[in-house]
Amino acid sequence: MTTLPKQWTSIEELAGDPAFAKKIAAEFPVAASFPPTARRDFLKIMAASLALAGLTGCEKSPFVAGIPYVDQPESALPGVPRHYATAVTLDGYAQPVLATTYDGRPTKLDGLPGHPATQGRSDVFMQAAVLQLYDPDRAQSPTRAGEPVTWTDVGAMFSDQRREWQKDGGKRLRLLLSQTTSPTLVRQIRELQSQFPAARVHLHDTSGERERIAHAIAAYGEPLDLHYQLDACSVVVSFDDDFLGPGPRQLLNAIKWAQARRRGDVPGIQLHCAESIPAATGAVASYRLRAAPSRMPHLVETLAARLGVVGASVNDLSAEERRWLDRTGAALNAAKGRALVTAGLGTGAQTARWVAQINETIGASGQTLKLTSPVADPGVATASLDELVIDMNTGQVDTLVILDANPVYTAPGSLDFASALSKVKTSIHIGLYRDETGHRGTWQLPLTHDLESWSDARAVDGAATIIQPVMTPFYDVRSRHQIMAMMLGRDQAADESVRKTWRDAFGESFDAKWQQALRDGLVAGNAPEIQATPVSGKIEPAPPGADGSDIAFRLDPTVWDGRFANLGWLQELPKPLSTLTWGNVVAVSPAWAREVEVENGDVLEIDIDGRKVSGPAWIMPGQADNTFGLWLGHGREQAGRVGDGIGYNAYSVRPAATPWLAQGAVRKLDRKETLAVTQLHHRMEGFDLVREVSVASPTLPAPSPQPSLYPPHPSAKNAWGMVIDIDSCIGCNACVAACTAENNIAVVGKAQVEMGREMHWLRIARYYVGDVETPRSYFQPVPCMQCEDAPCEMGCPVHATTHSPEGINQMVYNRCIGTRTCSSYCPYKVRRFNYLDYRYTPEAPAEPVHNPDVTLRSRGVMEKCTYCTQRIQAAHVAADKDNRDLRDGDVVTACQAACPTRAIVFGDINDPDSEVSKLRRSGRHYALLEKLGTRPRTTYLAKWNDGSDDEDDRT
Amino acid sequence: MTQIFSPTADTWLRLAVVGFLSACGASLVAAIGFARSSYVTSTDIAPHQPVPFSHRHHVGELGIDCRYCHADVERGPKAGLPPTATCMTCHSQIWTHAAMLAPVRQSLTENKPLRWTRVAKLPDYVFFRHDIHIAKGVGCVTCHGRVDTMPLTYRARAFTMQFCLDCHRDPTPNLRPADKITDMTWKPAGPPRDLGARIAAHVGIRSGELTHCYVCHR
Repeated sequence: MTTLPKQWTSIEELAGDPAFAKKIAAEFPVAASFPPTARRDFLKIMAASLALAGLTGCEKSPFVAGIPYVDQPESALPGVPRHYATAVTLDGYAQPVLATTYDGRPTKLDGLPGHPATQGRSDVFMQAAVLQLYDPDRAQSPTRAGEPVTWTDVGAMFSDQRREWQKDGGKRLRLLLSQTTSPTLVRQIRELQSQFPAARVHLHDTSGERERIAHAIAAYGEPLDLHYQLDACSVVVSFDDDFLGPGPRQLLNAIKWAQARRRGDVPGIQLHCAESIPAATGAVASYRLRAAPSRMPHLVETLAARLGVVGASVNDLSAEERRWLDRTGAALNAAKGRALVTAGLGTGAQTARWVAQINETIGASGQTLKLTSPVADPGVATASLDELVIDMNTGQVDTLVILDANPVYTAPGSLDFASALSKVKTSIHIGLYRDETGHRGTWQLPLTHDLESWSDARAVDGAATIIQPVMTPFYDVRSRHQIMAMMLGRDQAADESVRKTWRDAFGESFDAKWQQALRDGLVAGNAPEIQATPVSGKIEPAPPGADGSDIAFRLDPTVWDGRFANLGWLQELPKPLSTLTWGNVVAVSPAWAREVEVENGDVLEIDIDGRKVSGPAWIMPGQADNTFGLWLGHGREQAGRVGDGIGYNAYSVRPAATPWLAQGAVRKLDRKETLAVTQLHHRMEGFDLVREVSVASPTLPAPSPQPSLYPPHPSAKNAWGMVIDIDSCIGCNACVAACTAENNIAVVGKAQVEMGREMHWLRIARYYVGDVETPRSYFQPVPCMQCEDAPCEMGCPVHATTHSPEGINQMVYNRCIGTRTCSSYCPYKVRRFNYLDYRYTPEAPAEPVHNPDVTLRSRGVMEKCTYCTQRIQAAHVAADKDNRDLRDGDVVTACQAACPTRAIVFGDINDPDSEVSKLRRSGRHYALLEKLGTRPRTTYLAKWNDGSDDEDDRT
Repeated sequence: MTQIFSPTADTWLRLAVVGFLSACGASLVAAIGFARSSYVTSTDIAPHQPVPFSHRHHVGELGIDCRYCHADVERGPKAGLPPTATCMTCHSQIWTHAAMLAPVRQSLTENKPLRWTRVAKLPDYVFFRHDIHIAKGVGCVTCHGRVDTMPLTYRARAFTMQFCLDCHRDPTPNLRPADKITDMTWKPAGPPRDLGARIAAHVGIRSGELTHCYVCHR
């Protein structure tokens, strides 16, 4: 075992700030400043409370209506969930899901089991998609200049337009698309192009897929998708490529990374990561190098030189960089055929070319790197957004159709899309919301949500899913294929276009194949592999460091490019590493913060080519010097009631030419903003919260038995337990989002989060070890520990929390009187108190999204993780009806199901053959705050320290 | 020196103490009595229904099985109120013009569901499932009473926590063979506990695990 040095959670803690110590000493930060209550007042209040307490029992059970069907469909069974295979989309890529519906209302999405791209796992965007379906701020009917119109009016408009387009072959018609993988949409766009050959199609994507393809063209001479086969790797080197971070590829990469990591008795994959702004990939890397984005071309060329790539020369490097490269080069040489080098978006085309050369040299192609033609292919020649803006400004565009994009918000600030849009005669915005673009356009045509649509899309691996609706639309909306059909001069039913595409593809026995595809959520076959060799020829040397600072742009890990800004679930999700909710920050390096005397929350002004934006600072431990990080996706004006006016809009300073990395200046303003950061809430007092093992000493010391004065609880046949492997955790938050969806967790808003009142039953605690410049990061998901000797149970004055024979600390809401004693007794700080009534929000009817099997908690009630007791009970009922015992895997908690790396395992610890029992026998197994003698049922597996034990080397 | 206390003062004091204690006791008894009264538990009250449906006629006299109308009872948590179409299986043939059935015919023609008043209802924080109770041998009559004798349906039992727990603690006297679940008049031949114990062993009732909170509350 390696004894870790001091673990810290924030820079204030590391610095030993006394104000900080005072703040965290309070059980509830907001209660730290209560005025002292006079004894007499206290007695008066208590007397009244006690006198009235009994009255709550006098509630008379009312008679309510019971409403049956008129003619009940045979499959409709009230209260019994039904599951449908379909998909939601992110950046145009399918995220195949299994949708759970109750009485025709979807309540929960999970990754589709059996699909190679999800394997039943999910990410935060997939989990939150179901909330977007019920968003009351969605566009609910077509509008013209803000006035509601009917679809008949829209049809008439399109026939008028078509007459205009036919005059000159659509010369003055432009179609602006976001990225798509839908075969049906591609077919329709092709048809539109053949009807109006002079019309041009432009592609605007916010997630950098266009740059990805451009890099592939630079490196390989043709457009390609690079598929990382991480499961075949034993060494991976990343140059500012956060492939384990959020995005459409996160799920597949994380699944494969975890498979490789668990390949043997010791970690099967080692990550070397050169990183500018700390993110998930760097956090789990064995060797992390702190390097500014503009250093990446130099680093990668030097690495190429060491590996003997022709034409590469050695650049000037710092000692730190040299040490990392020595190790990385040696590791790559030792693992040829099992190694992979990757580069991120902001690192430039030269880096991409060097990386391709290195991958060729180390034998990655075909082994650890699979190349395919792009999965997201619009099927016609497309031009860029820049060209569209030029044409709009020069008056060459009469009609602009914007399909599922919000360029007024997401276009780089240098383009000034809004003023260009005002020069277009007719602009038609087709989208889910009447957003910034919808408000400025002439027409706004509302789209169906993916869960209400007939459509199709391909997952990142190229496998197609036919998207089937799981409910009829709430609002007067149409699918993109119906609207495209209107543009093509037809009025089509929602599923007709999709059926046509697949009738052509399936050929014979269409009906059977169609049914099979709908049932499976998958059309067999994925993108075929392509053999490509890197472009040879001289690679220009990287330019010397420019003046000004590196300003890197990142998509927000929770609201992505801004499209999810109106989803409270995502806004309130603590972002990995910073644990920030409700907003975005400017990430600065600790050295710069010391030099300019900046504290967290001080407002900074970023100046890129004269365009300015200001946002609060966040000192990011481990960030490269001379580098600033901006997050896109916030600062929205027309997102809806939840998402408006949160954070700053980084798109406004984004240069169109280099959208991921810019040079600019940063200065401190004289203001401060409060940040809703959760890491300091629910703090545990103790040490060794996260533990490590190394290859040299792979076993933690056996725990010493803790004596207890309490008699042991008799156990039922099943005894539930959970083991969380912190070595596998990448801090992606999928578990927290899944728990929110499964357990009806309330969203409390920024002000309440600042007071420490967030309601998540599961938190991903983040710890640092080491100095602030080059710390090592640890993620630790902390749900309720379900202690066998639970302090909370001993504390409750009304027995509202009791011990079940299966070992769960049961929280009985209807008994709880809200003393919060249990929470102050809880050493793990996993209990959450309802300070306000979050059950019914009249202006946002979210009831249909609630899981009907879980109580909505009222004000004044404590709540906490229940190990998804509704799933345990459902499994018991199913097994009891068959009169059999529960089998391992019958109960899967929501967090466990979501986790892409299978870091969370739940099961019966009385069964020695269950997966959880096997993990509990591992040498890495330990209990949190074991010395307290609480005997928790939730336990952990220590992180592997597979890097060097030498602190300085591990940077 | 004048006496502060009169000769009767002691008696008054004793009376006051006794009176106070009996008032406390009486209010306790009254409160418990009130909470258990049919006023609070809504037992023995037949609420107004759009159609005066008689279980006595349909079950007791015609002998229609419970599951003919409450068809989901073995498959899901809810027994299910019969859809209008179920009523019309018979009433499209008999009593086709009865005034009493006008709302049913109207529901069918307008495709609008009937709005019944639910008689049996548990609080929202109780998660009850019909299917498992039936699978384990709890008869309809145990909770719903002699529905076959009710001209208008009323709540036969107060669904108090005690009512549920009595059976969850010791289900054996209330179990019956699978083919007698809907039988309103069935009585065990011997002592109910003997048969119940045999059934409990046969269907695998997890005795002792059924009283913890999360079985019903979550």
